Amino acid sequence: MKMIGALLVMTASTFAGWIYSTLLKKRLTLLNALIQSFQWLETEIGYASTPLVEAFTRISGRTQEDVQLIFSTFVEALQDPAGLTADEAWQHCIKQNQETLPLKAEDWALLFDFGRTLGTTDREHQVTAIRQTLERLQLQTTGATEEWKKNERLYRYLGVAGGALVVLIFY
Amino acid sequence: MGFAEQVLPVLAPKIRLALDQLRRIVPGKWAKLEEIRLRAEQPLQVEIGQSFLVTGAGELTADPEQALKVGGADLLRTLQLIGGNSLYTLEEELKEGFITLVGGHRVGLAGECLVARGTLLRLKRVTSLNVRIARELKGIGGVLLPFLAQEGRPLRTMIISPPQAGKTTLLRDLIRSFSNGEGLSAPAKVGLVDERGEVAGCYQGVPQLDVGIRTDVLTGCPKREGVFLLLRSMGPQLIATDELGRPGDLDLIEEILNTGVGFITTAHAWDIKDLTRRPSLQHLWVQGLVERVVVLSRRLGPGTLEGVWDGRTHEPLLTQVQRLEVTR
Repeated sequence: MKMIGALLVMTASTFAGWIYSTLLKKRLTLLNALIQSFQWLETEIGYASTPLVEAFTRISGRTQEDVQLIFSTFVEALQDPAGLTADEAWQHCIKQNQETLPLKAEDWALLFDFGRTLGTTDREHQVTAIRQTLERLQLQTTGATEEWKKNERLYRYLGVAGGALVVLIFY
Repeated sequence: MGFAEQVLPVLAPKIRLALDQLRRIVPGKWAKLEEIRLRAEQPLQVEIGQSFLVTGAGELTADPEQALKVGGADLLRTLQLIGGNSLYTLEEELKEGFITLVGGHRVGLAGECLVARGTLLRLKRVTSLNVRIARELKGIGGVLLPFLAQEGRPLRTMIISPPQAGKTTLLRDLIRSFSNGEGLSAPAKVGLVDERGEVAGCYQGVPQLDVGIRTDVLTGCPKREGVFLLLRSMGPQLIATDELGRPGDLDLIEEILNTGVGFITTAHAWDIKDLTRRPSLQHLWVQGLVERVVVLSRRLGPGTLEGVWDGRTHEPLLTQVQRLEVTR
């Protein structure tokens, strides 16, 4: 009986450590995918002057699945018959996905800011806003990479070690 | 799809709601709607034969106190909805001062301008917005057709009228008739230079209004370049353009004269007298460069035909004042 309990505790904590470390990895992947998508967006708006719905639909067709989720929620909100502005639609799509996607509050904050001027200024300003967002995303990615490198193993060890500790104490 | 489905979705929610009510309460009036006018901090206005104010509940009124007040935010919201939330796609339109909607309805803009070295760059802040409902009245030009062609050859024609008397609607129908060969001995290949996008109501380049099956439309192109492009590339038998107004537009008629193709266009003038008083138009009239002049007015309502004149002999060909009607 004790043996089974100990095993359960070990599995659970190892798993928890593993989840934490993959979350780091997932955030990094998502940030990188966002960077690529915003680069595409820059081309769509800056060179082709594509309207938002078309641009975001096109990009979400070829991007990573989490970004796809963000972008397609945005497109849906934009097409809402109530007539939301781009900013409102963008805030809505962030709120919808904030809980489920592995981004940090500061990542969401920068995306939030991006929505402020979305679609309301001329092409030049739109491109500037996209570039600023890209720079900030790149900064976040650098931070995320470091964090991932530093903590990936740490979290896994901590998971295993934490489990072992609990087992030792209570066994 | 009626114009309501095309126009209402691009209006700010508050205004959309009021006008949707108006549509329900007085469908007869709604069907005759000509314009919707939004001005910042002014009551919501519609043009239905005359100017009315509209209350929040969609009732027509004359009392500005009761009418729904349009805010600056409503105008911005409307503009964003028109531009699919992508104002950057409207840069050219914000410079020209108008936008064409699905269905060919035209939105005119005014407001604060951004200027560099004396040239208008674009509207910076839109404070006035005017939606003009595009109407297709097929067959209204029927009574005129016998006067506008000779032995199957379309004549050089100019339609003149004050604003809001149905110039563009008539022009569109005449183009359609020539193009389809309706009421004529033979159809004609028509080249339409629709500089302001009002005649064919092009949305993303595709005509939303019926301009006939043999019509090639060049939209958003300056008239002169457009006319010669079409003459080179499409071999039209009839050149049509929207309203002449800019300096140089009228010289174009002389140039087309040399090519031997037919021509149909519109210009702004109250009547023949007014035509002969305007320096630029006077020249056309005196020189007899235009073969037919069609005069419209609003005397019996929009689309009142005042008459048809022979531009060379200056003799009236048709003087019976009548309301142009849909005959088909």
